[in-house]
Amino acid sequence: MEFLNFLLILWAAWLVWRRPERERLAFRLLVVSCVLMVLLFLVGTHGSLLPGVNL
Amino acid sequence: MALSEERLRAILAWVVIVLVGGPVAGAVLLGVVDGDSPCILCWAERTSMVLIALVGLFVLRYGPRPRYVGIVVLLGAWGQFMALRHSALHLARDIGQGFSAPILGAHTYVWSWVIHGMVLLVIGALLLFLREVAATSEVRELRRVERVAMGLFMVVVGANALQAFASTGPPPFIGQGDPIRLSLDPRHWVWSLEELAPPTISWRGSWTVSAPDPAAVDPDPAHGPLASLPTLTVSSWERIGVPLEGMLSGLARDPASGRFLAVTDRFGVYLLDSTLSRVLHHVVLDPGFSIDLSHLAGAAFLGGDTLAVVSTNKSWVLLRPDPHAAARLEWRHFRATDGGVTELGLGRFATVRARQMYVLSLAFDPSAQELITVSVPNPRHRQLVVSRFARADRALASEFEPRLAAGLSPSGPGRAPADYVVTGAAVADGRLYAISAAYSTLLVVDLREGVLRAAYAVPGLRHPVGVAVRGSQLLVALADGRIAALERPAP
Repeated sequence: MEFLNFLLILWAAWLVWRRPERERLAFRLLVVSCVLMVLLFLVGTHGSLLPGVNL
Repeated sequence: MALSEERLRAILAWVVIVLVGGPVAGAVLLGVVDGDSPCILCWAERTSMVLIALVGLFVLRYGPRPRYVGIVVLLGAWGQFMALRHSALHLARDIGQGFSAPILGAHTYVWSWVIHGMVLLVIGALLLFLREVAATSEVRELRRVERVAMGLFMVVVGANALQAFASTGPPPFIGQGDPIRLSLDPRHWVWSLEELAPPTISWRGSWTVSAPDPAAVDPDPAHGPLASLPTLTVSSWERIGVPLEGMLSGLARDPASGRFLAVTDRFGVYLLDSTLSRVLHHVVLDPGFSIDLSHLAGAAFLGGDTLAVVSTNKSWVLLRPDPHAAARLEWRHFRATDGGVTELGLGRFATVRARQMYVLSLAFDPSAQELITVSVPNPRHRQLVVSRFARADRALASEFEPRLAAGLSPSGPGRAPADYVVTGAAVADGRLYAISAAYSTLLVVDLREGVLRAAYAVPGLRHPVGVAVRGSQLLVALADGRIAALERPAP
């Protein structure tokens, strides 16, 4: 899934660079990529979402 | 000093170049040269840096729109959290230990913390000095340095995508908690879904441990984890003859002078005479300054006039009766005092096997000059661990889980001494006498051999909180101030 996320990011960057009129699509890809990154981090920490230290 | 949009774009282009060309490209380089391979958390942190750089490209193209500022602040804050969560796994390990190889003296998760923090600082500084910008939908033409930033971004992120394909695979495969060395040889690639496997979701995982409540345990010895225990009967009842502030939570007796030391759940510490009918000294500890004292759990005499008190979170306080105690100095230590006690020191016991478990008892072994605690099991950590700390420096000397002696056997499958909740303990003749509020059982532990030698059902005890030795007797103190006297079992 990390591979897929980098492809989404590359797509968004290419739109910003070469198709700047597609800002809405590029921004949506940015948001989707952020959400995917957050979800992947939560998958990696689902056994303890908060730091394993004294709070 | 005001920052024009033109100047902002020039700075931002260089920020993107530094961010992408530094840590993000450096991470790929480490992979190719050294075989460094990110774990699933590292991947998320690296992706966050890439996304921050991508937002920079948006600003270069479309200007500093509020939603770009909003998302980059969220990314910076989330990145800080990710780095904190990730670093928490390793920061407290022993010297030099960590996950994967360090870079410039720090591990990658620490660098992630630094980088996301710097991103927030840079954003704040740029916004602070940025001149008012009128909202516009105009697309900006890219200048040379901005085109360099765009091109570098595409190349570096493309390289990251290739590394991600090799080390994590195409969807639905995801990053690994314990990744293997990066290889460009497909025969060595391992694609995994193991991070999705465990179904449990928790806020704090193994740190989800609530404070112990000995009043809520089952006191019936017949339900205990050991089978066919002999019974010890209470030979007489006594009572603490002076009013205490709060419920009793621990009791000790000094074999030399016969004095008693009592502690309460309101941080009261009482030095009592040998008849339990007169208060010799009294203080109320300050639980907030500066070491966090949770409820007081146990007390012990360390020989001479040194008194020890422990709280459930394994913080300790050493006190001494002192007719010359300086009221001005002791004010900081005590909420209340009779003026005749000095605090010698306070600190925290650090355990290994008993980590993440509370304690409800304290004992002192005079022959070894060691303080002793016994862990209280919880749903996350079910162990009965005897921890011994050197009196000299209060550091851990040894720990063990008592083995069952011949003649003792579990009462059923899955039952073990870890089912006991030890709330009071005392040492005599090389034996640790520990009373468990759960199943009202007295445990006798051979400290030299690390063996649970004997266990006795003691019916009639409700909420025991302490044990003291008086000659051939064991005194079991209850939370309400009553004291049950038992004949001490022969060694």
